[in-house]
Amino acid sequence: MKLITAILKPFKLEDVKNALQAHGVTGMTVSEASGFGRQKGHTEVYRGAEYTVDLVPKVRLEVLADDADAAAVVDVIVKAASTGSIGDGKVWTTPVDQVVRVRTGERGPDAI
Amino acid sequence: MSTRERRERSNESDRFLLSLFNVALEKAGKNNKGLAVAAVGGYGRGELSPGSDLDIVILHQGQFSQNALSEFVNNLLYPLWDSKSVDHSVRTRTETRDAAESDLKVALGLLDIRLIAGDADLVVSVQSDSLDSWRKHARNRLPELKKSLEQRHERAGELAYLLEPDVKEARGGLRDINALRAISVSGATTVPLERISWAESKLNDVRETLHQTSGRNKDRLLFQEQDAVALELGYVDADVLMSDVAQAARSVDYLLEFIWHQLDQKVKDGFGRFLRKPRTDIVAKNLNVSQKEIVINPLTDLQSDPMLGLRAAATAAQLGLPISLESYSLLSASLNEGKGLLPNPWPREAREHLISLIGAGESMVSIFEALDQEEIIFHWIPEWRALRSLPQRNALHRHTVDRHMVETAVHAASLTRKVHRPDLLLFAALFHDIGKGDVEDHSIRGERLIEPLARRIGFPSEDVEVIKTLVKHHLLLSATATRRDLDDPATIQSILAVIPDLTTLELLHALSIADGEATGSAGWSDWKATLVSDLVKRVKKAMSGSNVFAAQPEITPEQLKVAESGVLQVNLEQRENGYSIEIISPDKPGLLSLVAGVINTSRLDVRSARTKTHGASAVMKWIVTPEPHAPAVTAQNLRNEIEKAFNDASHIEDRLIARAQAYASIPSIPVPDPIVEIFNDGATDATIIEVRSHDRPGLLFRIGAGITQSKVDIRSAIVTTLGAEAIDTLYVTELTGGPLSDERANEVASRLLQLLK
Repeated sequence: MKLITAILKPFKLEDVKNALQAHGVTGMTVSEASGFGRQKGHTEVYRGAEYTVDLVPKVRLEVLADDADAAAVVDVIVKAASTGSIGDGKVWTTPVDQVVRVRTGERGPDAI
Repeated sequence: MSTRERRERSNESDRFLLSLFNVALEKAGKNNKGLAVAAVGGYGRGELSPGSDLDIVILHQGQFSQNALSEFVNNLLYPLWDSKSVDHSVRTRTETRDAAESDLKVALGLLDIRLIAGDADLVVSVQSDSLDSWRKHARNRLPELKKSLEQRHERAGELAYLLEPDVKEARGGLRDINALRAISVSGATTVPLERISWAESKLNDVRETLHQTSGRNKDRLLFQEQDAVALELGYVDADVLMSDVAQAARSVDYLLEFIWHQLDQKVKDGFGRFLRKPRTDIVAKNLNVSQKEIVINPLTDLQSDPMLGLRAAATAAQLGLPISLESYSLLSASLNEGKGLLPNPWPREAREHLISLIGAGESMVSIFEALDQEEIIFHWIPEWRALRSLPQRNALHRHTVDRHMVETAVHAASLTRKVHRPDLLLFAALFHDIGKGDVEDHSIRGERLIEPLARRIGFPSEDVEVIKTLVKHHLLLSATATRRDLDDPATIQSILAVIPDLTTLELLHALSIADGEATGSAGWSDWKATLVSDLVKRVKKAMSGSNVFAAQPEITPEQLKVAESGVLQVNLEQRENGYSIEIISPDKPGLLSLVAGVINTSRLDVRSARTKTHGASAVMKWIVTPEPHAPAVTAQNLRNEIEKAFNDASHIEDRLIARAQAYASIPSIPVPDPIVEIFNDGATDATIIEVRSHDRPGLLFRIGAGITQSKVDIRSAIVTTLGAEAIDTLYVTELTGGPLSDERANEVASRLLQLLK
């Protein structure tokens, strides 16, 4: 099993969510995040004063997937989140040892 | 579901207990001398809900051995445990007294003690012990009660505003009603309990129905239970039920808050026993402060002063004091008789009072709540009735619609420095969700409903348009910032298409923040605030070129003629609630400050001013309102005062300091810090200094003096007071002409901030 984590532009969340649902993903965790990557925030001039926006608001999305499906899920996210411009975000996968559904106690892929 | 049924249930338990008592007595081989069973708490009052515990005390006189006593108690209670849950204690009279002294809960329960079976004399003695002790120690016990209430409120939250409240424990719930009863019994103050009799029976009915439909003795009104309870009580749906629950809770809370305030005052005055005549201070026309309350002069005829109610509310909120209950009664009685109704549209003074009230921040909440409870607000704003305790079943919200809007206004009050029209921000904040309560989109419905209201309150047409835009688009910035690509020029264009200028954008930004903060953490976070700010910055950039500061006033040809003659001329025109003063004077350093000082020491309050220099003269137009008991003003004595000040201004400063000291004894509320902004305006070859501050006596004198100390020339000044907020725009140049350098401008700004602290 894999945990797929994606950092996205906030306005792309709706598209990614819909695309994942269409792909058959039923559950996900979404949280507010901020940070920077190569985009490095940006400098703006406002009323003569220059200031930097260090941390850019992003959305963090987490999905659990079966090993066999993980690559496809990543593709779905990347396709839906892409605008082609800088700051589109990142997607990564991490191996997961165990998953338990709290209500039933089911384990492994059944719990996803 | 009624008091009668609860009483019936209580009687039934009484009969059962009586038979058990007789059986137990027989088994023990005793008579009932010195032995009794009594009910306490709600059962003591003869009110039992289906799931309530039977709270009883078994009183004895130590006539039993320990074993015999426990056998008697077991015989009495065992049969009971099969069918009811019982909360019992076994005590002698002395033990009861000790328990009451050390445990507030016991003391409160005993206030309602009632004989069920056995020795009536014993119960009567315990009852009089309890009442005597409660009254005698009220000074210590009431603060203890208050503290326990506060802890419980902290834990259980507010009944009126929670979506799944506990009707017994939450603030405004049944336990608070018991507390009010206990205060009343203590005799420390008079508690008009009849004001909450509707609330009490409503909450008891709801609790009883909840016990019945849920089959459990829990008092929390969960979502899953609300529909069944509403149906059982004959409501159309759960929303109407919850609205009634909220209304009941609010009336309880309102009375309780009011009673605490009264008690606090009494404690400070040594319980009022040897009180001299309380000191009263006049704070505004027909309004006094007496014993830390705003009191309306009882001899005032509201018909001759229809603004009095709003003035009282604004003054109380701005001073952070409550209005006395008698004053509310006076107001509401007059208004109910149709006396003192406001004309349509409202006069400017009435509108300014409303804005001062809304802008008072935290202290506005209790005043507004009181105006609602006393049904005064509906005479001014009938639209509020439809919003009263209107629930919103929305996971993001924690408050009913009306309370949410009041909370939004509180948050908006701390953002008034961020906008150029604090009055429009505050008004829009208090009414932004006016469109809720219907299936139609509330923003669109709101835009339609706000228009007649804004017109009636007397906003000019161009302001009404801004208010409509704010209400219609109050969700636009948050929605766009989180759902659209900010890098896409089309996103920015979509905002520009509906927000016409920088002033409106600023207002909408502040409104979005206030609305979000009032909604709570589920709807607003730093993360979202950053996104919205980013969007606003980008839109501002795209708007560059539009000005937000006030333009310089024009001089009429007649004024020009006098100005060129170089003589001092003062014209005074009486206006509704004040004067319009035109002053044409030879220009000199510090003129603005001098004239402002003269006006202030003449006990006139500056509402707005426009001044402009022309050649060697200055033309000024002031709109002022006199303070209560200010001496009559004539053009001649104003002219004399100004001339006198030209020769020597030191007496003005002294008088202003004396006045400031007199004002210092009046309480005040926290307000946002003043802001000084500076721009260089190429078009007029001057530097523009804009000061945004809470209005206070002598503000303009201080600003003028600060500018004069900085050795710069004031070319023109535009002073506006909006409710309790002031915006002063000054066009200044170096004495030698031309705008200030950046360093000089910063020096002036920091000097002004220093002076305004």
